[in-house]
Amino acid sequence: MGGASHAYKEMAFLKRLKKEYMELKKSPPPGVVLDDSVLENNITNWIIHISGAEGTLYSGEQFKLNIKFNDKYPFDSPQVTFIKPYLPVHPHVYSNGHICLSILDRDWSPALNVSSICLSILSMLSSCTQKVKPDDDSMYMRFAPSNPKKTTWVFHDDSV
Amino acid sequence: MSTGLKVKIKSWNGVGFWKWMTNDTDCGICRLPFDGCCPDCRIPGDDCPIVSGQCRHQFHMHCILKWLQTQQMKQQCPMCRRDWQFSD
Repeated sequence: MGGASHAYKEMAFLKRLKKEYMELKKSPPPGVVLDDSVLENNITNWIIHISGAEGTLYSGEQFKLNIKFNDKYPFDSPQVTFIKPYLPVHPHVYSNGHICLSILDRDWSPALNVSSICLSILSMLSSCTQKVKPDDDSMYMRFAPSNPKKTTWVFHDDSV
Repeated sequence: MSTGLKVKIKSWNGVGFWKWMTNDTDCGICRLPFDGCCPDCRIPGDDCPIVSGQCRHQFHMHCILKWLQTQQMKQQCPMCRRDWQFSD
């Protein structure tokens, strides 16, 4: 019985992922391109190309995001990181690609999706006024776990 | 005007359909249609009902319960982040 109910749970999260995949392929937000060459084998590991918006500090730059889902999605947030070396110099982006963004952590909601995550990250880039690394970057690099979801984040600056 | 024609009905088949009364077509959590069921159920209907919060957002009951169970600190609506209260 337990096995059967686990199979259902797996199906539920795959169902939603497949739907999101189709929607993102069909109508991606501006500046967002899904790289589906990696997706063929594993639908739980996505690569997304995002372009800095025109008229912002990141105009003309291309970045790569890695989004990993587990079978608790969308009740649990996905693991979202920039892929080295395609990461922006930004006060909330650490040198290992980890992103300090509250919706990926304590402000996650199952009503969010890949598309809204990408838009939040683009808007985080667009509102940036100074291209600098986080103040505590070298400190964080010393003890950071490989999974940013295991980090206890402090969200202190919502304006950037 | 009467033609005097009489019709005798020998048999008939009634067909009915039901719909949930919802503000939206899809559940904001699982993204599946309200007229279907949540991804953990197989048969739509009373066994997989739709519920509303006081903020008027609606979800499959199973979806919102699952979300509230994962929240230890705060019980918020996934759509508007207001405190979640079931509406009567």
